[in-house]
Amino acid sequence: MALSKRIIKETQRLAEDAVPGISAVPHDDNLRYFDVTIDGPSQSPYEGGVFKAELFLPDDYPMTPPKIRFLTRIYHPNIDRLGRICLDVLKSNWSPALQIRTILLSIQALLGAPNPDDPLANDVAQAWKQDEQAAIATAREWTEKHAKP
Amino acid sequence: MNLPRSKGCSLTPAGEKSLSYGRPIVRPARMVDDEAPLKSASAAHQNLRQLVRLIQCPYCSKPFTAPAHLPCGHTICRDCLPSPRPRANISYPNTPDRLLGIVCPQCGAEHAAAECCLDVTLAKSMELIRLQVAEFRASSIEDTPIRLVEILEPDDNSAAGEKDRVHHVGHDRVLYGGRLLATYTLAEMGELRCSSEVEYSSVLDAPDHYPHEYENLDISLLGSIQEAVQDEMSCRVCYNMMLEPTTTACGHTFCRRCLIRVMDHSNICPLCRRDLHMPASLQNKPSNRHLASLLDLLCPDLVTQRLAAIKLEDQPGDDALNTPLFICTLALPSMPTFLHVFEPRYRLMMRRCMGGNRKFGMIMYNRTGAPQGDLGATQFMEYGTLLEIVNLELLRDGRSFVETRGVGRFKVQDHGVLDGYIVASINSVEDISTAEEQDSEQEERTEAQRLAATFESQNPGTPLPFRVALDQLSTQQLLDFCMGFVVEMRRQSAPWLSQKIVQVYGEPPAADAALFPYWFACVLPIAEEEKYRLLQITTVRERLKIVKTWIERIQNQRQ
Repeated sequence: MALSKRIIKETQRLAEDAVPGISAVPHDDNLRYFDVTIDGPSQSPYEGGVFKAELFLPDDYPMTPPKIRFLTRIYHPNIDRLGRICLDVLKSNWSPALQIRTILLSIQALLGAPNPDDPLANDVAQAWKQDEQAAIATAREWTEKHAKP
Repeated sequence: MNLPRSKGCSLTPAGEKSLSYGRPIVRPARMVDDEAPLKSASAAHQNLRQLVRLIQCPYCSKPFTAPAHLPCGHTICRDCLPSPRPRANISYPNTPDRLLGIVCPQCGAEHAAAECCLDVTLAKSMELIRLQVAEFRASSIEDTPIRLVEILEPDDNSAAGEKDRVHHVGHDRVLYGGRLLATYTLAEMGELRCSSEVEYSSVLDAPDHYPHEYENLDISLLGSIQEAVQDEMSCRVCYNMMLEPTTTACGHTFCRRCLIRVMDHSNICPLCRRDLHMPASLQNKPSNRHLASLLDLLCPDLVTQRLAAIKLEDQPGDDALNTPLFICTLALPSMPTFLHVFEPRYRLMMRRCMGGNRKFGMIMYNRTGAPQGDLGATQFMEYGTLLEIVNLELLRDGRSFVETRGVGRFKVQDHGVLDGYIVASINSVEDISTAEEQDSEQEERTEAQRLAATFESQNPGTPLPFRVALDQLSTQQLLDFCMGFVVEMRRQSAPWLSQKIVQVYGEPPAADAALFPYWFACVLPIAEEEKYRLLQITTVRERLKIVKTWIERIQNQRQ
């Protein structure tokens, strides 16, 4: 099926006008499927880590949000062990005026501001609420272990 | 810019030699009367005037500052709008900004203040144009004087003047930088009414490089304006140049079709998330005419391209996969099916159907995941019914009630996905010919009678095996049996044969053995998977036999 002009333009802009700390490269054999990397934001327990993710643009994109999942393991109250992300703009608050770039920036921002009150990974959220310092230390450990080359 | 300017306006009819207060004029002749080389530029210059007109507020005639888009379709500087006043006799919805009204100075229509928002796209575009003009003006425009004479729109009551070709002349200026810049400047000075035309002529002591270099100035400014606004004038949903730009009450503009699709999913503005408060069909919502004209003028090529692309888009995907499939329920040929369409993808599909041949395929879910012939274990069954939309009632929120009628059966050959719903190439499934039908009845009954005779001679007094007994019956007898059951059930007022149901599906087609099973399946409360068998059968006789087995099962249960 033909790609929409929108997907072509977004892909071009992602390549030509890259956002520092974020990359999204489409697969040659499926231009709706992107390999994504997101650098952990500075002053967060994910700093220094490079997190891999996969992003898929469903058939009715941009009417429906992209599907995105972390491939690198990450200790975060809003990301579960399968890499699924709990973020409003990926679900009910999606708007077709958003785009791959803005979504990835939102995810990067989520890494910088975990929200244990709206958890996806309950155990992590609980740990986070009980002892934030310890949780942050674990997150840092995981980053060291999984997100560094 | 320090150039000598004429003061006030000269009321000399155009065409007559006259001197402005500024510079002497050498060729006062009007454009249309000019020599050949100038005629080629004439069309472009018409457009230049039109372009500047679209940059001008129709009320104050100056280039727009903060243009507001009104529901009546007019676009006017926000500052030119009269102050809101309370609207009489309005109580719902009673938000403060809806109880105040603003009267359009152009047409007198009164709108709720809430709906007279800044036209964000136009406002940004106007700002970009202003910047481009300023930049262009700052670059070299020396030595390019041009005389502009404003020709006022003739009054309605001066018909005689029109006949005599007497024009009402407004302001008269010598300005610089080519026609486009000069015209814009004139408008900026407040000396060019939006409705006026402009006559251009060259100036006596100007260097002799008219008209090409002047034309190049226009081309260059026009080019930079086009480039500057292109991004602003593309739709934030599809990233294309806007097509039929439609502006929301919050002042954001999208392609009409994009906005309709957005509203399949939610009724908030994609940009500001404000509630859109309008019927999802956008039926009575006019496009933003002002933006549309501006687009036509600034990027006619992109508009044409877009139209061509849309045509392609409307042909559903692959040429072969040309039947949209609605995966939902069992529908039967000739019978009505009623649908409540609420899923965004099916809203889009219904819209496309209504714009096309009004047909789509209805197909059941493959609940058991059983393999479907060559298709494998698809999420849907391989046989379905082609439905034609009889009536579609669109609800305000974008859902719809759809009345359809089965027009034929089909088998899915191949399938794909288009914008979230399934599209397929299909082969129609039709009954065998009447001749074949008769042949098969004859063959079957002859054979059954032979078997029955043998069976009875060997097992006297025993009932015939079920299959043999069934095959012995004529097609007419099968129909009579089934009809008899219906008559009996109605006599006993079976709830599934209530007057309401018969009203919807009609009286049983007692004389049509081909259709009767479909009717019966529609009213009979048994599992859809059971009824689905009818779709695959291509002989009338076989369908009636299936119906007869259902009836016998019911009768056995009742005993």
